[in-house]
Amino acid sequence: MGLVESGHMPKPLTQLLNTARKYSLWIYQWGLACCGLELGAAIGSPRYDIMRLGVIPFPSGARQADLVVIAGTVTDKMSPPIRRLYEQMPDPKYVISMGSCSNCGGPYWDSYSVTKGVDQIIPVDVYVPGCPPRPEALLEGIVLLQQRIQQEDMASRWRGDPIVVGA
Amino acid sequence: MAADAAAGEEAAAGGTPEAESPAAQATATTEAPAPVDERRQPWLEALQAELGEALVGHEIAGGDVWVRVDSRAWRRAVVACRDRLGCDYFCFLSGLDWKADVDLAAEKVWDPEAQPSAPAAGANGGYRTGVAGGDTRFQVFARLFSTSAKVGITLKADLDEEDPRVESIVSLYRGAEWHEREAWEMLGFTFDGHPGLRHIYLPGEFEGHPLRKDFPLLSRDVKPWPGLVDVEAMPGEPEGGGDAEGADAEGAGAEGGEG
Amino acid sequence: MAVVTEFQKAAYVAGQAADARVNVEIEAEGMTLNIGPQHPATHGTLRIVVRLDGEQVVWAEPVCGYMHRGYEKLTEVRTYPQVTTLVNRIDWLGSFANEVPFILAAEKLMDVEAPPRAQWIRTALFELGRLANITLFLGDMGVQLGALTPVFYAFRDREHVLNLIEAATGGRFHPNYDRIGGLKEDLPKGWVTEVKSAMSRIRTFCDEMEDLLVGNEIFETRTRGIGLVPAAVGLEYGLSGANIRASGVDWDIRRDEDSPLAWKHCDWKVWTHPDGDCFARYWVRLQEVREATKIVEQLLDGLPSGPIQAKVPRIIKVPAGEAWVHTDNPLGEMGYYVVSKGGLGPFRTKIRTPSFSNISILPWLLRGVYVPDVITILASLYFILGDIDR
Repeated sequence: MGLVESGHMPKPLTQLLNTARKYSLWIYQWGLACCGLELGAAIGSPRYDIMRLGVIPFPSGARQADLVVIAGTVTDKMSPPIRRLYEQMPDPKYVISMGSCSNCGGPYWDSYSVTKGVDQIIPVDVYVPGCPPRPEALLEGIVLLQQRIQQEDMASRWRGDPIVVGA
Repeated sequence: MAADAAAGEEAAAGGTPEAESPAAQATATTEAPAPVDERRQPWLEALQAELGEALVGHEIAGGDVWVRVDSRAWRRAVVACRDRLGCDYFCFLSGLDWKADVDLAAEKVWDPEAQPSAPAAGANGGYRTGVAGGDTRFQVFARLFSTSAKVGITLKADLDEEDPRVESIVSLYRGAEWHEREAWEMLGFTFDGHPGLRHIYLPGEFEGHPLRKDFPLLSRDVKPWPGLVDVEAMPGEPEGGGDAEGADAEGAGAEGGEG
Repeated sequence: MAVVTEFQKAAYVAGQAADARVNVEIEAEGMTLNIGPQHPATHGTLRIVVRLDGEQVVWAEPVCGYMHRGYEKLTEVRTYPQVTTLVNRIDWLGSFANEVPFILAAEKLMDVEAPPRAQWIRTALFELGRLANITLFLGDMGVQLGALTPVFYAFRDREHVLNLIEAATGGRFHPNYDRIGGLKEDLPKGWVTEVKSAMSRIRTFCDEMEDLLVGNEIFETRTRGIGLVPAAVGLEYGLSGANIRASGVDWDIRRDEDSPLAWKHCDWKVWTHPDGDCFARYWVRLQEVREATKIVEQLLDGLPSGPIQAKVPRIIKVPAGEAWVHTDNPLGEMGYYVVSKGGLGPFRTKIRTPSFSNISILPWLLRGVYVPDVITILASLYFILGDIDR
């Protein structure tokens, strides 16, 4: 059992670890729908270039990821795989819900096959509103998440209200 | 460019009924001397010759042709389209439910002229149907297209309300397999001879057929439709006029408490 | 954090084993390989289950529905102007092209025709949607074959097109710019000159793609002769658009049908390819992008002046009737079969999406190919999940 699990980390060490963690977030891309392309633009486009924030895209699988971006409509058929992959991620893990569909159902609020918000299945740390949000909005969400990670106490992970970008 | 198509349409619009008037007069359902569509009229005649009594309704309008056949002749009609008319391209197959919908119509509170959901009565069960007609609640329709003649045709057939069942056309057009699975899932139609009718979109435990008119959208039962503001009058004026853009902010605020 | 007990360890190991079993299942006659629903090689959430004999596919079954959002039902409970907001999101890469056929169908039922300027702008934006869509394909095809560079080029140059769409309509992805009888508003000042420079950039991009991929030896080896679709089989399955033109069928709805849109005023060419393999599909799309840039330039050169909105009632009610309007969208033939009963919203909308039919050929096409070619074939058929699942 190491220092982290014991819950008795000296504060400077926590800060150091947090800094390291926030600049090496492996982001697992869930390009489900339209938002997935804006996520793709944030990852793949030279204009947005997510890597300058210390966010590393394309891990080989969920087991190597720290952060997952749910970008797009979550359907009832898709929910079990999402839940399963989320459980495969190692702790500490973070979830960004990108776009109206995964926030609350969006334009499909009355559909028979759409889950009205991914937060019904997994806990969400950052909500990025928009349909779809611009890549800049996603980047802001990531920056806000990094600020929160910096403040985190290793022993008791911060569990407050989720961030809402632009609110 | 679109020389062929344009010429055909112009001729149709200009009206040259003398070209094949005897046949046209004999077969036209509409009594008005409508201009004859020169590319589609021969198709209709060929189908009439092939199917005879089984062709129960037809219409040519707006550059399109609809043919309604008896459901027992469904497969025969598709064979005729493929072999006689040269339809090589399978466009889609789907169906529709003519039933005036009870729950959803009641929820369309913004529609003052919503159809009252009349109980099924009368010769055609009280269903108000579209072009080429319809006698029962369910209708299956498919669209085929000839890439050489550049003409398409929509086939329709009425299906029984209790047991909507029709012959599969997968052996004629392999692309129909997924479309028939979708129609089975969405509307509950059975296609005899289909290699495997199973869910295509919805999870296996899903109950009901969503595209049937009596399938409720539960979210709408809980919360009234917020699109009401679309037809609200502008805040300053009694009713009508004005642009719809400004109505959103004010209208939404004013109507929030009521909804 | 709590101490990990032996029981938890055992449960973890059991869970891992269960996960592994789902993904790879050894069977007596071969191996069943599950790709998806979330997999980097399938853009979106398409799941494909293939049974392998060695490295050859003996049986393949696509499982769709992970993105089924119920458009056809939802259109029945929306008013006509609200439907465009929904249908924008079917093919999310070329959004504007989705609105146009629906609006045309509603106009056909109402017997309204938009003024010429609106039709020309519609056509120009339609083709810009095509550019936004297919440029990504041109780069993405490289990624599927292991070349990472092209997709960065694609995202870079696609931004220029998205900026144009955003400047004109206000939305990068989902313009919602088309109205029954016209358009939301006129083009912004200076837009036309911006478009000109962006179009030459896109043509440069096409040349770059030709240098990077088309002449590349690996690319040619992996695409030539792979995934052959004979024209007759393709038509039977309902393949349309560039997929069927790559099999030598000279059919383009933009050219062959009399549409109120302005393609008939432009000088352009429909490219076909006789081979019907993955390379042909890539090549045809590459030429399609070049032609689209030409169409846009010609349309903007001859853009007529005048109003952009025909006179329509403020509360739109569509007379009873049925209309079928289809257009040649970036992915293929997209059509709307709208049944109206005279109300504020459609009574029934059958949305004929191209990818659904394009993908339905997979069980036939994947039989007998090798595993790496599965990805090539999937990429070359080019689908958008929203377009398959609706």
